[in-house]
Amino acid sequence: MISDAFQKRKERQLLWLLLPALLPLLLLVIYPALYSVYLSMTNEALTGAAALKPRFVGANNYLRLFSDARFWNSLLVTFVFVLGSAVIGQFVLGFISAVALRGRRVGSQVFGAAILLPNAAPEVVAGFMWISMLAGGDHATLSKIMIALGLPWADWLQTFPLFMVTMVNTWRGIGTAMILLTAGLSAVPAEVYEAARMDGANQRQTFLRITLPLMAPTIFLYMLISTVSTISVFGLVYALTRGGPGNATEVISVYIYNQSFTTFQLGYGAAGAVVALLISLVFGIGYVRALRVKV
Amino acid sequence: MAEVRTTRTVLTSVAAYATLIVISIFCLLPFIWMALASVDSNAKLFLKWPDSWTFDNYLRVFNKEDGYRWFANSLFTVTSATILVMIISGLGGYALSRSHAWWKQPFLYAVLLIRVLPSTALLVPLYKILLGLNNFESTLLRPIFGENIRQAMRLFGFIDGYLGLIIVLATGQLPLALWIMKVFFDGVPKDYEEAAILDGATLVQRIRRVLIPLALPGLAAAGLFTFMSAWGDFLLPLILLSSPELQTLPLGLFRAFLRVNEIDYGLLAAIAVVYLIPAIIAFSFARRFLVQTFSGGVKG
Repeated sequence: MISDAFQKRKERQLLWLLLPALLPLLLLVIYPALYSVYLSMTNEALTGAAALKPRFVGANNYLRLFSDARFWNSLLVTFVFVLGSAVIGQFVLGFISAVALRGRRVGSQVFGAAILLPNAAPEVVAGFMWISMLAGGDHATLSKIMIALGLPWADWLQTFPLFMVTMVNTWRGIGTAMILLTAGLSAVPAEVYEAARMDGANQRQTFLRITLPLMAPTIFLYMLISTVSTISVFGLVYALTRGGPGNATEVISVYIYNQSFTTFQLGYGAAGAVVALLISLVFGIGYVRALRVKV
Repeated sequence: MAEVRTTRTVLTSVAAYATLIVISIFCLLPFIWMALASVDSNAKLFLKWPDSWTFDNYLRVFNKEDGYRWFANSLFTVTSATILVMIISGLGGYALSRSHAWWKQPFLYAVLLIRVLPSTALLVPLYKILLGLNNFESTLLRPIFGENIRQAMRLFGFIDGYLGLIIVLATGQLPLALWIMKVFFDGVPKDYEEAAILDGATLVQRIRRVLIPLALPGLAAAGLFTFMSAWGDFLLPLILLSSPELQTLPLGLFRAFLRVNEIDYGLLAAIAVVYLIPAIIAFSFARRFLVQTFSGGVKG
């Protein structure tokens, strides 16, 4: 009914509609990504002799990067940060909340809203609020609570910096995990539980043998999403510790920022950026494959 | 048997409530401190009941500090970026949904992958590109604006200007919005458009009369997620803005906090509350869309 010529014209029209999206993505995402690969092979800097005349230095920046203890430290810090908050903290607490909220309990709306609230907080606000909870030695809110409970207190951000930053990021993501896992939980058909009960399975068996396996795809997808979004967290860590004390909380995004905008070594910073881009891409490709995108 | 079951249900219930209460306190405590500190005449770093209740902190945000300007700048840049994203992603999402061309699949994969790139990693080249554009633009505009070139660049500049921040904020949110709109249009039956085509409607007519009304719920979701992430973004304004006239709320909060000599917790908490409220409003509307975007996009 609809002719070939019409079809062709329609496709051309569609391409025009896509153009306003294509242009900014090409100019402000794809081009910078490729440009950072180029930059990483120069000694580009904001100050000094190299600022006037950047030279091509080949793989020098990468060689320097891979022998830089601070870079490896930032990878390790990022790994702990992502594993602790995205993979373990948010997931476990989100799952517990989702299970506890299952069934129409009185007040579940209120609890749900409370657990979701940290999601709405902008990164800088989250960092600021948690400074009150953690900084100031025995004046910190957490210390006061510990003292009231008769427990030891500490200078939290100095003594356990990475653990605390990881905890704050966990706090921000429990709600999302809860919502997504609730959706996964309700997708398990009630008849399956009914059948398990008939066969005499106890709660623990039901959970391990039915709930977890049936939710495995949801969980896997959740893990990938939270991993990639946690790798790029910047504002929260920067507002809370700016990577310190020392480099104890310098995740890769803060490392790149510090290299580029406080020591002004753009070429060297770009080498770190390329490594971060590649790591994110690997997880991203895993994510796209897991989605089994229907196009 | 029945009794065992009831005891068990009660126990499970108690355990569930205890867990929920503990997790909720963990989630709420920082907000409680902030809310109390913002109305405390003598706010301290730690959580305490206000000495006396006052709105003075809020008044100072707007009278002594540049609160109005920060708020207006944030609202203007983020709203502009949101509108831009809604238009571009509406058109693009439609094209991605209806096309059968060869570029469709690569483009969709690229959109998903772009979403995972950490923005810090793109910052330096992005800054250089924007700086190039900015210098080019300023040589173009100088003859036109003459003396007023500085003011003009504040509006239209790519570095330290509204336009640059708006475009970069919008571009960052575009991939998720495109994806939301593509998935949304996939669910809109083609019958309406085909009926409109048979009636002889042009593309523009089809978009205005048929597609925009149908697309409103999708555009609402895309717009809300864009607004939320752009409102919360700290890195881009930090890098792109330097003029005091252009400061936005996250920068105002961050810089006020850096004045280490005398940290005024009441004032800081009040800024934070002012910054937080629009985010909470947007989030409460966006909440219902969270699950849908999860199965396709990336969490917002």
